[in-house]
Amino acid sequence: MAERALVVPRVPGGRRTGSVPARTLRRFAAPAAILALVVVPLAALAVRAFADVWRAPALLPQELGLRGFEQIFSEGSGVGPAFAGSLTVATAATLAALVIAWPAARALAGARRARTALLVVLALPLLVPQYAVGTGLAEWFIRLGLADTFAGLALAHLVYVLPYVLLALSFGFGSAMDELEEAASTLGAGPLRKLAHVTLPAALPSLAVAAALGFVVSWSQYGTSLAVGGGRQTVPIVLVPFAQSDPQIAAALALVFLGPPLIVLLAAAPAGRRAA
Amino acid sequence: MLAPALIATAVLFGGALAGALWSSLQPNPAGGGVSLEAWQAVLGDPSFLDAALFTLQTSALATLLAAILAVLAARVLRDRGSGLRTMFSLPVPVPHLIVAILALLWLAPGGLADRLLGPLPVSLTGDRAGLGIVVVYVYKEAPFLALLLLASWGPRLREREEAAALLGASAWQRLRWVVWPGLRTPLVVGSLIVAAFAVGSFEVPLTVGPTYPPTLSVSALEAARSADLAGQAQASATLLIAAAASIALALGAARAARSDVG
Repeated sequence: MAERALVVPRVPGGRRTGSVPARTLRRFAAPAAILALVVVPLAALAVRAFADVWRAPALLPQELGLRGFEQIFSEGSGVGPAFAGSLTVATAATLAALVIAWPAARALAGARRARTALLVVLALPLLVPQYAVGTGLAEWFIRLGLADTFAGLALAHLVYVLPYVLLALSFGFGSAMDELEEAASTLGAGPLRKLAHVTLPAALPSLAVAAALGFVVSWSQYGTSLAVGGGRQTVPIVLVPFAQSDPQIAAALALVFLGPPLIVLLAAAPAGRRAA
Repeated sequence: MLAPALIATAVLFGGALAGALWSSLQPNPAGGGVSLEAWQAVLGDPSFLDAALFTLQTSALATLLAAILAVLAARVLRDRGSGLRTMFSLPVPVPHLIVAILALLWLAPGGLADRLLGPLPVSLTGDRAGLGIVVVYVYKEAPFLALLLLASWGPRLREREEAAALLGASAWQRLRWVVWPGLRTPLVVGSLIVAAFAVGSFEVPLTVGPTYPPTLSVSALEAARSADLAGQAQASATLLIAAAASIALALGAARAARSDVG
């Protein structure tokens, strides 16, 4: 820090000019803006979920209560099976993507010239509407008996989960990993020991990020599920009709819907941080 | 060892495109052979142009605003602690659908923004200009793009900036010749993913968009759900047009970004 002080006037981001109130303003403007525009809007969801009566123009609900949660947890609401369906599909799609993407990410790290072209090809699905992939797959799934099955849903989600998982994993491999593995081989570690004691621990941060990302991508899918899911419900399919008809149920369901992605991200965060 | 990934992509993604093409060529699912009727019906429908323009307008505006905000936010957050970054990144794991529900809660007539600030000067839900759709995408995607930028705007780029500053480069020159080349790839790639998502998804326009014009994906959904036998074929044709437009746009933008001197 001391050397930097010498070049203060010209160093980017190193401005220390202005009066005290102006500096205070600059310091608190960003947190205040983020609080008002990002955090508060999101927090309103929780209030809405517990507001049994909230009529305009009141800023706060007239009556708090659990009507929303009682409705979604009541039998016949379809939320329980949808939740289980979303969990099953997201877990299966993420695991499949990890297994497929692991060797590919390794190979990509080594492929210097073709790397960009390969990445573009593998990421191409991200440019295509979910509903297009869903309706296209539904054509075959009906013939193959995969329509309206969890396997069909997981395969359809895999189209979008795989590119994200692959991109996240590919950050973990490279020359640093090659050197580590070489050192392990030199020291006499066999392939299995090398994998268990060197490769996996070293790749854990990007593995955690990839798994979390894959799960969240599958969990949020709507267009693909609508096209191939048929009777098999996932949470977004159940949620959409309530968005217009009953905001309290929609908000309660949205809170429940947010749970698993948050848990997954919190679980992945410590491992992911080690990557930085 | 790329084979499993390439095969999975070819079978599932290639199969999906082939399936969509096949269904678009079969306006009569009960049998009646292959024909271009659905494509002609879609392209000859005046509302198709409305939907295409509306889709282009909302996704381009949303992507542009999100990218600008992301650059500004990344510039501010670069010098700040991780707490503020986490706060700003909160919308990243939140599904679009939930952000659309939030938009209704805040921006609908009589919503929380109305109650807090008085009647809003412009209508932001169900509006013909699609501003509500844009707001949802900006809220969701600006933090996503900012995270991508921050990953590249680390100590290495800062050192180069400081070196340029010491050599006498002005703020503008540093931005043009040092910062932009470092941030260009994540910004362009991220923006393309955002734009393509905005073109293709329909949970947001279905929730906060106007009844007319629909986006291309919404109009495909409406066609698929209509009683018309040829609806599914028309839906597939519409979706393939949207997909082709997204891919063409992405390739064009990627080429433009690469040929830009920097």
